Amino acid sequence: MARNDLQGSLDLLVLKTLAQRGRLHGYGIVQHIQRASDELLQVEEGSLYPALHRMEQSGWIRSEWSLTETNRKAKYYHLTPVGRKQLDEAEASFEQLVKGVRAILRYA
Amino acid sequence: MGWTTRIRNLGRRERVDAEIEAELRSHIEMAVEEAMRAGLSESEARRAARLRFGNPVTLRERTMGADAALTLEAIGRDVRYALRQLRKSPGFAVTAILTLALGIGATTAIFTLIQQVILRSLPVVKPAQLWRVGDAVSCCYAQGFTQTSDEKTNDWSLFSWEAYKEFRANTPAFQDLAAFEIGEGNAQLAVRRAGSSSPPQTSNGEYVSGNFFRTFGLSAWRGRLFTDVDDRQGASPVAVMSFHAWQQQYGSDPSVVGGTYAINGHSFTVIGVAPPGFFGAKIDDGSMPDIWLPLTMEPLIAGPTSRLKNPSLAWLDLIGRVQPGTNPAMLEPQLQGELHQWLASHLADMSSPEKAAWQKQTLHLTPGGAGVSLLWVGYKDALWLLLAAALCVLLVACANIANLQLARGLRNRRQTAVHVALGSPRGRLVRRALVDSLVVAAMGGAAGMVVAWAGARLILYLSYARSAQGSWIPVQASPSVPVLLFALVVATFTGVLFGIAPAWMMAQADPMEALRGVRSVGGDRHWIQRTLVILQAAVSVVLLSAAAMLGRSLHNLEHQNVGFDPAGRYLVSIDPKVSGVPQEQLVPLFRSVESRVRAIPGVRGAGAVFEAPPGGWMTHEVRVEGQPVPGPEEDVTSGWTRVTPGFFATLGDRIVTGRPITDEDDASTQPVAVVNEAFAKKFFGKQSPVGQHFGPAPERNAGLYEIVGVAANVELEHDLEQPMYFLPEAQSTHFDDADLENREIWSHDLYNIVIWAPTHPLDLEAQVRKAVADVDPNLVISGVERYAEVIRFPQQEMIATLTLLFGAIGLVLAAVGLYGVTAYGVEQRTSEIGVRMALGADRGSVVTLVLRGAFLQVAIGLVLGIPAAMGAGSLMASQLYGVRPWDLRVLAAVALVLGVAALVAALLPARRAANVDPMRALRDE
Repeated sequence: MARNDLQGSLDLLVLKTLAQRGRLHGYGIVQHIQRASDELLQVEEGSLYPALHRMEQSGWIRSEWSLTETNRKAKYYHLTPVGRKQLDEAEASFEQLVKGVRAILRYA
Repeated sequence: MGWTTRIRNLGRRERVDAEIEAELRSHIEMAVEEAMRAGLSESEARRAARLRFGNPVTLRERTMGADAALTLEAIGRDVRYALRQLRKSPGFAVTAILTLALGIGATTAIFTLIQQVILRSLPVVKPAQLWRVGDAVSCCYAQGFTQTSDEKTNDWSLFSWEAYKEFRANTPAFQDLAAFEIGEGNAQLAVRRAGSSSPPQTSNGEYVSGNFFRTFGLSAWRGRLFTDVDDRQGASPVAVMSFHAWQQQYGSDPSVVGGTYAINGHSFTVIGVAPPGFFGAKIDDGSMPDIWLPLTMEPLIAGPTSRLKNPSLAWLDLIGRVQPGTNPAMLEPQLQGELHQWLASHLADMSSPEKAAWQKQTLHLTPGGAGVSLLWVGYKDALWLLLAAALCVLLVACANIANLQLARGLRNRRQTAVHVALGSPRGRLVRRALVDSLVVAAMGGAAGMVVAWAGARLILYLSYARSAQGSWIPVQASPSVPVLLFALVVATFTGVLFGIAPAWMMAQADPMEALRGVRSVGGDRHWIQRTLVILQAAVSVVLLSAAAMLGRSLHNLEHQNVGFDPAGRYLVSIDPKVSGVPQEQLVPLFRSVESRVRAIPGVRGAGAVFEAPPGGWMTHEVRVEGQPVPGPEEDVTSGWTRVTPGFFATLGDRIVTGRPITDEDDASTQPVAVVNEAFAKKFFGKQSPVGQHFGPAPERNAGLYEIVGVAANVELEHDLEQPMYFLPEAQSTHFDDADLENREIWSHDLYNIVIWAPTHPLDLEAQVRKAVADVDPNLVISGVERYAEVIRFPQQEMIATLTLLFGAIGLVLAAVGLYGVTAYGVEQRTSEIGVRMALGADRGSVVTLVLRGAFLQVAIGLVLGIPAAMGAGSLMASQLYGVRPWDLRVLAAVALVLGVAALVAALLPARRAANVDPMRALRDE
């Protein structure tokens, strides 16, 4: 799962990142996922921005322009209540998937 | 949720676009900063960030693509782009829109008529609740207790008054069951306002049941409509006028309602006017009812020939409104049962073959919402044929525009390749190509509506304007909602059809061409264009051969041997019954009318006849004296009619043997008949019939008429071999059999006077009208026509004219298509031709090269088109008269015409190719 562009997982990663970090811009999301996964996961910008746009259109996240620590203008994203619910669902279904896959792997 | 944002995004594309761009830029900047902090130089950092990031244009497009509203917005932009492109190439725009307008217009014009003639419901309340008892559309009355309709034996579609009353009384599933007089059995009425001395107005009447209007859920425009009370025997005579007649003949005069009118000499009160748009429950060309009368008034008007109380004479169509929730599948067997019950009550009146077959009689319930349409029966084949031809034209037009679009796309190939190389998604380019085609199609469709309206008017004009005066059909050329929808669907469909090829080309665009440069050799995409030209050629062959066959068929019809020469002959239509002339006055009346007409300068003969050729006649089963009684399966019927002594000489119908009918054949002498050659052949073979006797069945009449002469065959309803016998007006026989007697009386009303005036006197019509008025001012003349006009074939003329028009359009479009493709090919191959010429090819061989290419396509088109044309010919065999479904001469002529058109179309580009300057062509390379 080194290069993750399965859409469902990407949505989950982005939503989780925003839930943990509150407000974050696109670049920050990329960085966070990379660091938090010990460089195991890399998010492609080519997939991230269409995904962010789509999630915003769906009302899961909201954005606003703001300044970074280095005084640069950037677009910051944060979760909406709808997005939080979506995250819970996505997390639950991911847990199910992992449980299922693990069960298969351990099957003797 | 998301949709509100999307909707708000509409029209804000630029802003969203800029925002995405700013966001992406800020992302790159942050990445660069980070890399520089890690120790990279700025340029190295920037390079690394860009490499990671990928193509910024693609990313932006993909981000935008996540948004449906923006897609809508993008289509709007594509539409504007397409319009801009069209403005830039007005030549293409005009050609494409005109071509499409012709194709869509032709198709929509035919559809306008199909919609009105075939698909339209009556303008009545809830037409889906209306069901018709019977399934065949018949022109004429049916006699007896068995019925055959549309070649289906024992199938009932028409009913007597008595049978109608049985059905109405015993079928509670019908809320109302209405009866109305069938098709061509219209009552001819002469209507005159009470006390007026102006000549009476001739009108078409129709007898209907008292609940007729109620069944259809209609209410009066003025006054009131019939109720059951008006349709009781002994009720005071009332009439309802159609809106059309009220407007056209009475100038929408409000005093008509409540006015007293003399109808065929009997006093009637007009109680109301039917609503506009309701033309009656049967749709016909030429005999739409002007006035409705209650069924029970029929004996008053028809006198001794009344049909009302004759149970064995079927002359009514039945349409009923069922109770809501009625299952027609359950109702049908019930009605069949009622028919059997009614037939069983007439066992005593049946002939022996009827007794054998009465239990096999059946009927079918059919949807009645469209009424009973004779128009549909008469025109459906022709209209479907014309729709097929129009669709062929549309196909050729589509192929042409696809070719133009392709050529345009190929010219813009380098630009497209650059777009792809720069990261435009292919889906976007394909969409733009399709939108482009749809914009052209929409504009063509709009222009096509004008063509359709004009075309439908032209067709109506060709079919009706030149036929008999006073006839009209309830069909309008102006477009209705279904027609507009049809045009919309056709335009969209054609847009997609001719947009597919250019769009496909966009999808194939190769970004490498942007770098490599588009080589100017005929690319492999050329085959699409060639295929389209081949298709056009093939479709043109089909259209042209159909046009040629229909044209020949019309020519055959017009120049067939009708047994007499129509030149210099006229046909006067009168109706003595309408004018209330008593039966015993008819003989002297015709004698004096004829002598007055003969006195007109230039008139060389006049003779009256029950109905003149090529029109109708009556039929009897014949029994010949001294011949054995025929078996039940044997066909012993003959047509018969009644004439005055001048008839044969005036029409130019030659007497082959014996003598014609003369003034001596009257009530005091032996009843005589003249028979035609077909009759002589059918009943006497090679024997001479003169001096033999025959009569109408049964056997006891076999000695009735003595044959005194044989007349040459004259064509009747396209049949030169129809056996006929002619009886003198001045003789009549009294029959015990009610039906024979009825027809005997009926036959003395002669409807036509034939006049021979070879010099075509100028004011013949006025003089004839005056001569008739001098004899009896009440005699109504409904028309004076030249015989050549009477035996025209307006429907066939219309079909042949339109198919020829469609064929010509198809041919021109195909030629334009071939020209376009050949010219484009020459343009693309300029350098190749230059090389050939530099290497020693002369102009002749260059011309040959180009022509060979063009003719190869035409030849393949012919190979495909000729079998298709033969197939089309056999499909329309029913429309052809004296033409085989395929005819070598026709096909050869079509091939020749197509060849000439192709030569003209290909010669221009070929000459241009021959004029290529080899030096310049090579330099350009």
